[in-house]
Amino acid sequence: MLEVRDFTKYYGDLCAVENLSFDIDEGEFVTLLGPSGCGKSTTLHAIAGLVEPTDGQILLRGEDVTDLPPEKRNIGMAFQSTALFPHMTVRENIAFGLKMHGHDSTAVEERVEESLELVDMPDHGDHKPGELSGGQQQRVSLARALAYEPDILLLDEPLTGLDRVLREEMRGWLNRIQKEVGVTTLYVTHDQEDALSMSDTVIVLNDGHSEQIDTPERIYESPASPFVAEFVGKSTRFSGPVTREGDRAVVNNDDKAITVEGTGVEDGDDATLYVRPEDIEVSTTAAGAENEITGRVVNVANLGNRAEVTVELTDGNEALAHTNRFPDIDVGDDVHLRFDPERVIAL
Amino acid sequence: MSGRSLPSPRRVGLLAAVVAVFAFLLVPVIIVVITSFTPQSFPGIPQEGLSLRWYGELLADESLLNALKVSLIVATASSILSAIIGTIAAFGFVRGEFPYKEQISTIMLLPMIISPVITGIALVRYFGSLSLPSGYPALILGHTVLSLPYVFLLVRSELVTYDKDLERASRVLGAGPAATFRHVTGPIISPAIIAGSFIAFVVSFGEFTATQFLISPGTSTVPVVIYTMLRTGLTPTINALSVVLIVVMLVVALSSRRLSSA
Amino acid sequence: MSTSRPTVDGVTGSIGEFVEGRITNSHLALFGLGFVGVFFVLPILLLVPESLAFGTGEPLQAYRRATRGIYVDAFVRSFLYGIVTTAVTLALAYLLSYFMAFGTKRVRLTMTLVIVPLWIAYIVRYFGILLFLSPAGPFADLTGIEPSLLFTTPAVIIGLSNVYLPFAVLPIYNSLNAIDGELISASRVLGASQWRTLAAVVFPLSLPGLVAAGLIVFILAAGSFLGPAVLGGPNQTMIANEIAGAFLNNFNIRFASALAVIYSILLVGALLVFNTVFDLREVLGNI
Repeated sequence: MLEVRDFTKYYGDLCAVENLSFDIDEGEFVTLLGPSGCGKSTTLHAIAGLVEPTDGQILLRGEDVTDLPPEKRNIGMAFQSTALFPHMTVRENIAFGLKMHGHDSTAVEERVEESLELVDMPDHGDHKPGELSGGQQQRVSLARALAYEPDILLLDEPLTGLDRVLREEMRGWLNRIQKEVGVTTLYVTHDQEDALSMSDTVIVLNDGHSEQIDTPERIYESPASPFVAEFVGKSTRFSGPVTREGDRAVVNNDDKAITVEGTGVEDGDDATLYVRPEDIEVSTTAAGAENEITGRVVNVANLGNRAEVTVELTDGNEALAHTNRFPDIDVGDDVHLRFDPERVIAL
Repeated sequence: MSGRSLPSPRRVGLLAAVVAVFAFLLVPVIIVVITSFTPQSFPGIPQEGLSLRWYGELLADESLLNALKVSLIVATASSILSAIIGTIAAFGFVRGEFPYKEQISTIMLLPMIISPVITGIALVRYFGSLSLPSGYPALILGHTVLSLPYVFLLVRSELVTYDKDLERASRVLGAGPAATFRHVTGPIISPAIIAGSFIAFVVSFGEFTATQFLISPGTSTVPVVIYTMLRTGLTPTINALSVVLIVVMLVVALSSRRLSSA
Repeated sequence: MSTSRPTVDGVTGSIGEFVEGRITNSHLALFGLGFVGVFFVLPILLLVPESLAFGTGEPLQAYRRATRGIYVDAFVRSFLYGIVTTAVTLALAYLLSYFMAFGTKRVRLTMTLVIVPLWIAYIVRYFGILLFLSPAGPFADLTGIEPSLLFTTPAVIIGLSNVYLPFAVLPIYNSLNAIDGELISASRVLGASQWRTLAAVVFPLSLPGLVAAGLIVFILAAGSFLGPAVLGGPNQTMIANEIAGAFLNNFNIRFASALAVIYSILLVGALLVFNTVFDLREVLGNI
């Protein structure tokens, strides 16, 4: 459906994106995830034709569109700022793309009404964008982008700027619309929750190159690089030299040795380990388990459905663990942390 | 104190001082208007009834009506020219990329800063050397230069805050550059351009200092006529003419405010 | 990459773009600069050769004359009147701005009252002051006192301050209005009196606006022609009047040009001195 081949973009001497390649299949929901300045918006703009690549190709439905201006690409796009035309009504905004795509006036009228229905705003056609709430504006923006049935939908941080509750509601809504229409979608965000909860595939971008292209589950469970492990989700980090013992490995982190299941690290390597907070068990008593380390509790934060315990380890580093809502643990307690060797991410 | 209000004894003092400053600012103009209705032949406060006598004199005076016509023509022509040139320049300076952009853009504001006397003699000599005649051509070009900074500033500030995603959206929605300008950018910034051209009109209509060098016999503008009359003696005709000037300028300026706030 | 948006990447659309495609935004800027260059900067620069007497024994004769006697007085007067007018105007403008920013809810009304005079020709406003001050004018009508200020230095200062007051209010009001109300509350909560808050918090934060206002008023007042011409006498002649007089009454173009060149150099010099105290670019950014 969409193929990005070795896309490279320089601004002057400054490299924004280098040799980025990925494919998107028909109907797929793909997210470009990364911190600000990682090149994700540049990539999206290049696919739209709004940024001229320094190098590389962009293919849409197998056709090379690299040199086509944006108006010739049949792309739908929603912006963080919504970019609704302030001088036009909602209806005129939606009609604009249809007219520019050469639909005749009866077809335009019909499609506008259908689009308003699609985004649950049939009664707002005559409003000006300024009279709508932020969430409504984003819905109109989406209706405008979908009205002329584009080959691909590009979403540039459309949920940023909405408050938390609305944002979570919009995620589900956006996903439903996308499945209903079946449109191939590329979504850009710096928010990992957006990425993990909505996408079929996540592309993690860092400093102009892709760190990992994978399903949300694998991005979280098996990050391909320290950057991905640290950018997506919270974790406790250890590092040290590796000693292999059969199908297991032991990493000597200062005073403690941590056992890791499986392959990926070799004898003599310096490995970095990550353990997710939900994989760490906190206890006030010792159990003599394989991976057990000690420390003192410095903070207990109640997160509603669970509690997050911060533990200062003997070497001064901090570890994070999740417990049930009301842990029997207080600040100052000496605790034992345990985790399964299988649940250790080794890089 | 709740941050933004003042206790009352001090407030009264402040209020009195503020009223006094506003009086200082506005009384001169109010006096010009009031004394224009005197029946006497000196512009004093009308004490024996109001009269439109001096407005009648105004209508009967061929040269005064001609000055009004010249002022209107020059202000209209120069405001159109400066709207066009100022808008183009504002686009260039906001969207163009070249070194020392900010510093260079202050050149566009120089006509506002240099004393208009210097501008006046410089232009009249220059136009003379180009054999460009005094009168309309010199007046219109001169006023265009003098009012250009106002249009430039207004349109520039509009463009700086203009959300470029609107143009990106338009392009992605299928509109080419021309259609994007016609349907999106143009309609959105045109109130600022029109407001700017109205301000340019007002600047031109009231300009005296540089204008006195650029006129030719037969193309005196209203401010020049008022100045000349002032030198020869105070008559209420000056008031009547001033009131006409005030009305024209205020009407244009107020419509510009309406446009730019719309 | 929200930090470095593409600028001329073929898409950001400009008026020029659909005219030719080859015309870039920089060409549009060049067009505007060209117009101002050809019809403003060049004519003004040409005053320099105009002021020199080429081919005579003494090319700087106009400058010799200009640096003597009454002309020196006119230069000195321009700068003095400029400074006094600036001081008076800033004081009045600060009062109005402070009131508008903190003392009233009717900001629109007061702002309109400040701006309306800007839309009225200088000549009319000076004429109003002339009427007000004239011995047989409305002031005398109403009070029975014949004012004797007309054609004196105070009359000129009154006129200049009146005319340029709105120019000073705008930047000062903007800088006062930009002060976060919570800063004032914080100062009061921390125990500062209202006056102390004004002196230690509000005033320092409004300085950029005040400096910008002072610069504008000084430049306009020092170069004023109409103020002294309408309200002053022979002893209030400022440099603009001397330049105009040399040109219009004596047709001495060389001399008028020399005066204009000297005045411009002095003004630039004053701005450079100003620049050592306040950063001129920062001040201009405030306008």
